[in-house]
Order: sequence, then structure tokens, then C-alpha cells
Amino acid sequence: MPRALKSPTGLIGTVLLLIVFTAALFGPLIAPYDPQLFHVQARLQGPSREFWLGTDQYGRDLLSRLLNGAPATVLFGLGATVLGVGAGSIIGVIAGVAGGRTDSIVMRILDGMLAMPELLFTLLIVSFLGGGTAQAMLAVAVTFTPGMARISRSAVLSVRTREYVLAAQARGESQAWIVGREVLPNAVAPIIVEATIRVSFAIMIGATLGFLGLGAQPPSTEWGLMVAEARQFMFRNPWCVAVPGLAIAITAMGFNLFGDALRDVFDPKRNH
Amino acid sequence: MSALIRPVLEIHKYSLSYRTDAGEVMALKDVDLKIQKGETHALVGESGSGKSSLAWAVTRYLAENARDAGGAILLSGEDMIGKSRAELEALRGKRIAMVFQDPASSLNPTMRLGEQLAEVLIRHRGLSKAEAWKEGEAALSRTGIAKPAQMMQRFPHEASGGEKQRVVIAAAYACNPELIIFDEPTTALDILTANQILDLFVKLREETGVAALYISHDLGLVSRIADRVSVIHKGKIVETGPVEEVFHRPQDPYTRRLLAALPRPEDRLAVSAPSTDAAIFRAEGITVEYGKPGFLTRLLDKNAAAHVGARDISLKVRPGELLGIVGESGSGKSTIAKAATGLHPFAGAVEFDGRRFNRREDFDRAYRRDVQIVFQHPDASLNPRETIGGILSRPLKLYNIVPRAEVAKRVAELLEMVLLPREFAQRYPHQLSGGEKQRVAIARAFAAEPKLVICDEITAALDVSVQAAVARLLVDLQERSGAACIFITHDLNLIRQLAHRIVVMQRGELVDTFDVEEAESPERAPYTRALLDALPVPHDVTEVDHQARDFLTEGPTA
Repeated sequence: MPRALKSPTGLIGTVLLLIVFTAALFGPLIAPYDPQLFHVQARLQGPSREFWLGTDQYGRDLLSRLLNGAPATVLFGLGATVLGVGAGSIIGVIAGVAGGRTDSIVMRILDGMLAMPELLFTLLIVSFLGGGTAQAMLAVAVTFTPGMARISRSAVLSVRTREYVLAAQARGESQAWIVGREVLPNAVAPIIVEATIRVSFAIMIGATLGFLGLGAQPPSTEWGLMVAEARQFMFRNPWCVAVPGLAIAITAMGFNLFGDALRDVFDPKRNH
Repeated sequence: MSALIRPVLEIHKYSLSYRTDAGEVMALKDVDLKIQKGETHALVGESGSGKSSLAWAVTRYLAENARDAGGAILLSGEDMIGKSRAELEALRGKRIAMVFQDPASSLNPTMRLGEQLAEVLIRHRGLSKAEAWKEGEAALSRTGIAKPAQMMQRFPHEASGGEKQRVVIAAAYACNPELIIFDEPTTALDILTANQILDLFVKLREETGVAALYISHDLGLVSRIADRVSVIHKGKIVETGPVEEVFHRPQDPYTRRLLAALPRPEDRLAVSAPSTDAAIFRAEGITVEYGKPGFLTRLLDKNAAAHVGARDISLKVRPGELLGIVGESGSGKSTIAKAATGLHPFAGAVEFDGRRFNRREDFDRAYRRDVQIVFQHPDASLNPRETIGGILSRPLKLYNIVPRAEVAKRVAELLEMVLLPREFAQRYPHQLSGGEKQRVAIARAFAAEPKLVICDEITAALDVSVQAAVARLLVDLQERSGAACIFITHDLNLIRQLAHRIVVMQRGELVDTFDVEEAESPERAPYTRALLDALPVPHDVTEVDHQARDFLTEGPTA
């Protein structure tokens, strides 16, 4: 995808994502301290040579906690998105290809789900499923499904009436072949772009759930939970809130900018 | 002598370039053009020749990545290139006016037609609102609109395409500009309407004596209205001169090629007519409806009804024959193609090769193999994610036409059959030009070794010179394979070259059927006559053409 790197947005997004993925892959290995180790002498300290990003209320090293929490946070975003996008695209493609009554019924149900605010809907599902990382991930995925279904359906619809699809129909191709070879490869670009941008939403909703105590549970180092735990010490040491908060922002921004750049690359107007 | 009178528009060695990802692209190179007062100067070129770029350059309405690369543009001696934004705004509409291709998109859909017309007058002639409205009505009546006062009150969607274009033309003439630029003003209109707009153009030109730059790709049309013509090719003006001169004695090879590519009815391309009278394909009372209202809609709205795309159409095609279906947009000609290939449900019956089909679900693989279709838009009819080889091998595999091992060899043969190099099998559609893509689409249809090929406006999206080549190719393939063909088009000149029989459709109904030799016969339906008369026949084009011109202009041309 070298063309994604040619725009400033794409370049910044890619660099941010590289940092985030490095942290997610090698974070636990390169962390200077054990994330659960209490330094009783150094609680709520600002950055120093010993603790690069400072310490929290128990004197745990923030950098180590951040690096250890990276895999969980990024995995949460990716997992929720993959589940939601997968389910949404399957429903959307079925509705788009079937058309007619099936399409109307499926889309009306999804419209009903879309009418509920995203976070509220997630909270509702979590209250059914109970707290915990897996439950929160599932809840976010379910929330994403109607929107993704709508996007994939419109992508399929715009391709379905192209003349090469008509040509395949006139040729007497099977429905599966038409969907798999003619429609999907040409409809997949907008779905991928949307999925990339949604990862950032998933991470933010995940962090929000963690903050509300409905996602990951202590002593997890999930970033949203870190913000929640440090909240009451915010005025004594702003670093313990700012550090995980910034990390969430950087990750979300990285996915968002990268998704925007992908959209430009897939734009047919630039694809001569 | 003419050098003493200052020309209205003088373009001197003007060049224009666009900055793109691929570097600097020259759109215009050393263009020289002069238009005197009262002169209609036609600028003719194919798509991508730079003709529209020149129009934008003259009005100084350039894209952001455009750059003037030398030369001068003078409007009555004044330099246009150095003008400030404010000066240009005062000048556009007042001294230079423009008429665009599509009247639907050049009018604001939320404003009454009268307001849009009056706006020009208020701004550039300083009239009061009431005066402008009155003046606008007068301008509209000059364009032949029957009830101008009522038309002023209407919104664009309440007027027909022809009426809208008349309003745009009235606005262009409203301030008596020095120069009017017409950018393909009739291309988006139906042939009969286009003809009326041309008549209006000729009338207004005589009344006002305004200089006009008329941009078009249509040589036949240009020969009818212009005094002088410039032929533009790849950003260069290759030939310029009086219309008669250029059309009678073209100097440049490109002009000659363009002229030779014009379809002329007497220049028959068709294969010899079939001797038998038996039909291979027969449509019996085909009716196609669109948007049939659902149960709930009918319950709520008793008047809800389906839109009829084609009503009770019966036609037949003999083996090896080429049947032309002619009609304006919306006449239902493509609907017939969709019904016959099972893309749309229909009522009635299709009889093919002795078998009868009453529903589209009855079309089996054998029928689908025997009846192939080629679509209008070469850009849309090939899957962009497949190689040309993959596209062409599909029908071979689907219908088991050759053993798997020989598919690649057959693909190469197919490419050669449509005069494309074998190496194209590895390429993707976007690496091919429009004409090349259309050849691939034709090869895909003939790969199935069909008995009937339906061609739905296959030349409409192509340039004149490519059109002729594609039409020749089709006839050549037809001759080699013996397939029958249904050729759907709006171009009567072209279809008279190709077809044995022609059917004419209007508003979903079949109004006329005749052998091509009888096209001029007085028995033709009035609508057929009107279509034939409206044709901008490329008269005065070459010596060979004189006979044709004589008998074509004898008709009651307006």
C-alpha cells in the first residue's frame, strides 16, 4: 500500500500504528518493571529517570503498565471490529444480493437497532452478559453489526447493477459465483476502509466500558481501566490519567488516519 | 484583409498543462484560433482532445492544477489571461456566455427558471427586477417557447430537456455578448429535440450576429451550422479552414480519418441478407413492467401502477440477419434486450430455435449460451478485478466449449479474432482504452459461439473513429460465425449501414418495421420520417457522398 504513505494523513497514521503495534507485540518484553510491582517509596510521582512516565497510586511504573496493557487494548479493538464487521458484512451482503422482501425485513430490523445510541446499546448488552473483557468485546461487536450491514449492503447494491454483473447473470452463472467473483471483490474496499476506522471506535468504547468498570477488571492493565483507577488521584498526579488517556488517543487516531488514507487510495477517481 | 478588423476572439500560440501524479500533462499545445464578428467557428475533436479545456481556458475557469504554459487569449483585443477575478466575474455572462451540454445540471433546481434568467439581466445590465422579468419573457419568446410567462414561473424539473436548454440559450443571449461558447449543447438531448435546438441556434445567430465557438464531436452536425471549422487532436489544432474546404479537401490525415469514419447509410457494411424466411428468434407480445407496486402500496394508493418499459412487442430475427432496433432514450429498446437475456421478468413468449419460453426462469444454459449480450459502457462491462484472459476464459469454461487444457490457446485466438494482441490476456481492464475494452466484451460474447448476439448501444460511448472500427469488427465476426444479431442504437445513419431490417420504437411501443432498402419509402410511419429528417447527415463531405446527400435533403427538412 505504498500510495497510502504518500499523503501526510496516511504517513502520520501509519507511523502511529507502527508505534502502537510495536508496543502491542513487544510491550510486555521490553517493559522495565513488573506492572504489578509496588514501589511504596515512589507513589504518584511524575516522570523521572527511574520511572520514565511516572508512577500510580500504588507506586507501579506507568510505562510498564502501559506496555503490558497494549496487547489487551489493541486486541480488544481488533477483535470487536472483526466480529462486528464479519457479522455485519454477511448480513449486509445477503440483504443486498437477495433484494426484495428479505432485504426490506432485514434492513428494517437493523434500522431499529441503529436508532439506539451506540454506547447505550453496548451498556444494555453488557448488563445482559455481565462485565468482563470477552463480554464487552461481544457487546461492541453486536453494536457494530447494524452499521456495517448497512455499509456492506450499499456497497453490494452499487456493484450489483454494474454491467459486468448483468453479463454474468445473462451468461447463466450461479448465484454463488456471481457473489463471490463478480460482486464481493469489487465491494470489499469500502468495507475494509470502514472497518479500519471502526477499530478506533471499538478501542474508545472498550476504554469507556473499562472506565465504567464494565469491561476488564483489576488488576488488568487495560488502558481504560487504568484511567478509571487513577481518576481520584488526578489532581495529585495528572500523569497517571494523562498517560493511558494519551495512549488511547494515539491508537484511535492512528487507525482513524490510516483508514482515511485507505479511503483515498480506494477512491475510484484516483484509480485512473 | 480580415486582419484589419479586430477578431472577437483571438487565441495565439496558447498552451495549457495540467499537473498530475504522472507529472505535467500538456492539454493544449500552441493553439491558434481566430473568430470574427458574426462567425460560427466549430471546434471538432474526440474525447480527450482538449476541446473542453480550450473552452475553460477562454472563460478563465480553470481547474486548480491547470497552468497557462504560454501564448495569449484576446477577447476583442483585451488580454484575458491577466484579468483579475473581479474583472472576470463582471465579464462572464456579459461579454462571454456559455451553453453547456447538460441543461439539467447547468440550471439551479431550487430556483424558478425566470429568476435564473432575470438574475443575469439584473447583474449585467443593471435592470430593475420588474424590467428584468419582462426582458426575460421577451428573451424566452425569441427562443420559440410558446408561453414564456408561464415558463418563467416554472422550476427546472417542470420543464423538458429541450425547454431547459432553450432557457439556458436565452440566458446566454440575454446580454448581447460578444462571444458565446457552445459546449456540445445538443449531445444530452434526443435527436428530435436536438434538431429543434439547432434550428434555434441558426435563427438566433442570424438575428443577433454574435460570434460563436461551437464545440462538438459530431462532424455531420458541424457541417450544417458552422462557417469555419478547426479540428483538434491531442491538444493540437491539426487543421483549420472554411467548412466546405475542410470537408471537401481535408489536408490532415487525422481529419481524413475522422471523415472516413462517419457512418453513411449508402456505405453498406452488412453481410448478405439471409435467404430463408424462417425465424431463429421470435418475440411474441413481450411486455415488461418496472417497479410493480407492492401489496401495501396498492392498499394505500389505488392509482399506483407499474411503469411499462415495453408493451406488446413482437419481432423476429432470421438466422444470420442483423436486426436494428432504433428509438430515443426511454423508448424501451434496452428493455427488450434485458427481457430477451433473462435480466428482467417479462410477460409474453420468446421462441428460439424451435423452443418456446414463457418465463425468464425457463431460460436454460443452452439458451443462455446461444443468446449473448454486449453492453453499452465498455468501462462497466468488464470486471475490474479480473484479467482479460480470466474474463474471456469464463464462457469457455462455463459452457465447456473447449477442453480445460486448451482454454489459454482459445483465449489467444479470441483476442486475435477481435484484432487485439495476445499479450492482453495478462492485462486488467483499466489498462485498456474504451475501444479495446469493447472489443474484449464482443470477444466474450462470441466466445460462447452463440446463434444470436444482442448489442445494446455498443458504439454509443465510443468516439467516431473507434465506432466505425467496432461496427466493422462486429459485421466481420457475424460473417465468420453466421450468428444473427440484434443491434440496438439511436444512430440511424449507423444502423442503415449495418442492418437488414429495422424496427422503430417509441415510448415502449413498436411503431414501425421495415427492410433497410425501404427506409426512404413514403409508407414509413410519421415518427420514422421525423427521425430520419432530424438526422444531421454529413452532407458535402466527400464526392462519393453527393448522391446520398441529394436524396436525403429532399425530405421536408426544417
